[in-house]
Amino acid sequence: MAPPEVFSLSQQSPVTCHAFNADRTQVAVSLKSNEVRIYARQGNDWNHIDTLTEHDKPITSIDWAPKSNRIVTSAQDRNAYVWQQSPDPQTGHMVWKPTLVLLRINRAATFVRWSPNEDKFAVASGARAIAICSFDPEGDWWVSRLLKKPIRSTVLSVDWHPNNVLLAAGSADMKARVFSAYIKDVDKRPAPSVWGEKLPFNTICGEYASTSGGWVHGVAFSPSGDVLAFVSHDSSINIVYPGGPAIYSIKLSILPLVTVTFTTEESVVAAGHDCQPFVFAGNQGGWELIGSLDDPQSNKSSGGARSGFGAPSPVGRLNSAAFNTFRNAAERGISNVPGSPTASSATESELFTVHQNTITSVRPYEGVPGNITKVSTSGVDGKLVIWDVNAITPVTAAGLAGKMNKLHVR
Amino acid sequence: MDVNFRKIDIDQYDEDALLDTELYESDPRDPAQALNDTKQNAAAVRSSLSRNDYVGALTLVLENAPYGPNVEEAKNLNLQTLVSILNSTKATDIPGIVKALSTDAQDTLMKYLYKGMALPGWGDVSGSVLLGWHEKLTEVAGTGCIVRAMTDRRLV
Repeated sequence: MAPPEVFSLSQQSPVTCHAFNADRTQVAVSLKSNEVRIYARQGNDWNHIDTLTEHDKPITSIDWAPKSNRIVTSAQDRNAYVWQQSPDPQTGHMVWKPTLVLLRINRAATFVRWSPNEDKFAVASGARAIAICSFDPEGDWWVSRLLKKPIRSTVLSVDWHPNNVLLAAGSADMKARVFSAYIKDVDKRPAPSVWGEKLPFNTICGEYASTSGGWVHGVAFSPSGDVLAFVSHDSSINIVYPGGPAIYSIKLSILPLVTVTFTTEESVVAAGHDCQPFVFAGNQGGWELIGSLDDPQSNKSSGGARSGFGAPSPVGRLNSAAFNTFRNAAERGISNVPGSPTASSATESELFTVHQNTITSVRPYEGVPGNITKVSTSGVDGKLVIWDVNAITPVTAAGLAGKMNKLHVR
Repeated sequence: MDVNFRKIDIDQYDEDALLDTELYESDPRDPAQALNDTKQNAAAVRSSLSRNDYVGALTLVLENAPYGPNVEEAKNLNLQTLVSILNSTKATDIPGIVKALSTDAQDTLMKYLYKGMALPGWGDVSGSVLLGWHEKLTEVAGTGCIVRAMTDRRLV
């Protein structure tokens, strides 16, 4: 039960996304800018060693292929680049060189992921489309085919099935979908699975929505690929068994989750606006919230008594410093204007969680698919944190207990 | 500066515009049936209230609540029935009642509370009663319940 490793990469800017290399000695992040920054680990520090500059609008997503050691980046400038290391002709040092990707989209690229075989990648976009990209040796560039129908709005996230063909996508039209991204020249004919038998390009293998709607922020396939999890903006996590056909939907009492990943076939880690990674576990019989990888209660006691918080609130972050400021103003006529010297506002607004703001991304860090032992998270607070997935603190606060109900898909 | 262009409905020129109706499944009942159901509910609620069965009364109103366009009459009637329940409850009873509701009913109740707050002075709507219920409901169902009231396109 190792405590989480916490690294503060940036004091001011959020970490929009992060991707580690294969041996976890380097990490590529975007600090909400048009540059990709690469850090190398030295003991307990991360040193900034390289910057990839080619995008001219903020980077939205990064993925680092473990086997072929290539980085793919997507950005609001509607472009994606594949970066490969090659020796510089003059100095002989290894430098990252970009290759253009012909995306053919007219809106921002929002999310990018390599396929398991690393011979394709998927770029989600605001153009109601997902570009499935494969390499064209004749043109020496990456070409794309677009998944369009029946996407009705911006695609926010994608995840690849282990068979290298199926792709899950979460979208702002409140649907999570599973598509076939079969490319004839790249893929072998996939074996039949729970998602279908014949899978030509753009086959829709499933379309799912959460009960109360909301943008689908994050999607994830289970290690076997037979189960799909998605988190949406109605503060719910949904687990889909296509063979069932059943959706387990857990409505949470906390703020929405935005990112999700499976750690084993029967457990997921999901995180978002509540600033801590939650663990859910279950199987075909049902799913439930197990606990949090963070331990706000012990962080509180070790951090000493902080003013402005009082008793732990039963409703998550409702009893925050901002809430108290307004309550004092309303009930006692005390106005605590920001910047006034009366209160130490910096400590008062500190949360008891490790992340001090929304978690933007959770990704596997250590272990093999099906048995992930550590995950990494990046947050709007500029932090990068590595968590032991077995160090679970049961969620005790009454208001946090997720309630579950079973739904049948029509 | 001329800002009138901002009021132009550009979606009408977009053949592929995303319509509200594509984002949720509409109420399967036709308006007349929805109104009829709501009227029957209102009668059942009055008898529940006379037995002091507040949880039963609220469940009647919140389950199968009419939603979406074209059922305005049923929606108004249901809100009226709901407000009559909220107004007749003692403040000390609220936490117990809220806890006894299903998660779905809690979410629908939150939608009605916000709808009531958007209609000050409408019928018997009282801001302080709604705020009292809102506080207790949030303590039980959390911020997630508020988020669902905002994301759900099935407007009551």
